[in-house]
Amino acid sequence: MTKKLSRPVSVIGTSTLGQRYFDDPEYDGLSIYELWAYACHQAMEDAGVKPKDIDKVVYAHMANFQTGGNVLAPVGSMMEWAGLRGKPIVHIEQACASGYMAFVEACDAVASGRYDIVMVAGVESPKHFIPREQPAFRIKPIREYDAWWHPGRALFDTTYYRFDGVSDNLLTEEHGKLYIKKHGISEETLDDAYNAMAVNLRRGAAQNPRACERKEFAETAKENGYDDVLDYMRSEYNPKITQYIRKSGSVLHNVAAGAIIVCSADIAEKFSKKTINVVDYASSSNTQRYPFCFHQMNVDVKDALVENGTDLDNLDLMITTVMTSGEQMDSAEVFGYLPDGEGYKYELEGRTAYDGDRPINPHGGDISFGHAFAASGINMISEAILQMRGEAGGCQVNKKVARCLVRGMGGGHTTVGIVLEADF
Amino acid sequence: MYKLRPILKTYYESLEENKILGMKCPECADVTWPPLPICQVCGSTEVDWTEMGNEAIINEIRFEDSSVGGDYTFRKANDFFADKETPYCISIGKFPNGTHEFHAALYGINEDNLEKWKGKLPFVAPVHFIEMAGGFKAVGFKIPTE
Repeated sequence: MTKKLSRPVSVIGTSTLGQRYFDDPEYDGLSIYELWAYACHQAMEDAGVKPKDIDKVVYAHMANFQTGGNVLAPVGSMMEWAGLRGKPIVHIEQACASGYMAFVEACDAVASGRYDIVMVAGVESPKHFIPREQPAFRIKPIREYDAWWHPGRALFDTTYYRFDGVSDNLLTEEHGKLYIKKHGISEETLDDAYNAMAVNLRRGAAQNPRACERKEFAETAKENGYDDVLDYMRSEYNPKITQYIRKSGSVLHNVAAGAIIVCSADIAEKFSKKTINVVDYASSSNTQRYPFCFHQMNVDVKDALVENGTDLDNLDLMITTVMTSGEQMDSAEVFGYLPDGEGYKYELEGRTAYDGDRPINPHGGDISFGHAFAASGINMISEAILQMRGEAGGCQVNKKVARCLVRGMGGGHTTVGIVLEADF
Repeated sequence: MYKLRPILKTYYESLEENKILGMKCPECADVTWPPLPICQVCGSTEVDWTEMGNEAIINEIRFEDSSVGGDYTFRKANDFFADKETPYCISIGKFPNGTHEFHAALYGINEDNLEKWKGKLPFVAPVHFIEMAGGFKAVGFKIPTE
């Protein structure tokens, strides 16, 4: 049995560092240390606090290439880089759910009454690593280092985890199968809905300087001789990876760092005029061995929130992990943000785009905004915070966002639901 | 009372003898494969070994075209299989005496016969023990001989 927070918690600061590929000229000469420290200081400056004010840090990082295990935790050095040496820190490593879970742990730390101001911060470089015996700025592409995926593949007992060969794409595409079975739409209609979703998300990303991919599909379509963007999306330029998922509907992998500062609600106004209250959160973990496990986790998290008395009826915005297209539609319907069985129509009609009446992922989602594994959850929550404050820039939705659901998922695997409410 | 006993060792050593073991709960009759020490339905710790048989009902076929340049994890998948050549896809299946569906490799599916076998779903497929490069076996299935 979960209970409401015993002490109210507010968000007072966030980073705004963008999603980039590590070979982006913008990041020339940088390592994850600089990115992490920058994100931490962006959040502290935004909140109007100094390192001395931070009582604790919750750190999210999945692929630790600083120490690679070796009986050394990376957190001590990371604290020095952020100017927080000597403070308590805990490291959350829960795959792509790490950032969401780190936020939850930070809120719990404040709600417990033990800490007043806690920073949640993370960094990830999923396509690059720090070679052995080299300084950290000499990063290399993962593809040049076979041993990155190998330790996982070789060491974990696949009998008890994801079966070898079941990729993220295959696991999450099951949403498509379930959707067709449940709602009786054709495979062609589902394909059109997924393509429309990719177009909608990219429209938001194109307006968001923090997004990784910022060129609209309509523009790419024209360059390739297509007047109708959906014709382009159905073409060989956007091939199917699985039965339901096209290339445009699969997650991006990029580098990112992020930080958010939460504090006890009774002191929040001292720091921010646009405080955001953390209403409630819930999470569920499952295995990846069983079919439709992703859908089941959505149901479990939604039920946990509802049982806790949290109102999901008046949401102005939903931000959700979208590893592949089907995850967005399933999540939106399970949590009641879109009517059951009607989500595909909302996508086809563009109503979920950043300028639509039921926006989802106006920042672009994981398939256009980007996805940096353990940092991704923090980045998604940051985008929610910016939307609620009206500070999201070009991808700002065209209505006040008083209440927002952030729903995150990671391959650990865990699903998290976080409800935020503007207090201004 | 919870019994400390080797679960993984027993399971993998049985695979070497081409025998697939799961766990059955004497209290609620739930059958878990792969084996776990606690019933996932009622929480009983009195679960005991049960043989899963040598075939499964295949309900779904999943196929990913890794040549498109999607997720690189799939391309790596074969690296740990002793047999790196024979094509396989992922299936959703269920042992006849099992109580839960699972994901598993289905051998013998390729781009040419994919649609034909999809049209035959559901079908019964015999077990195909996969020789892993690390020197142990894993459980897969193969399309039946016509």
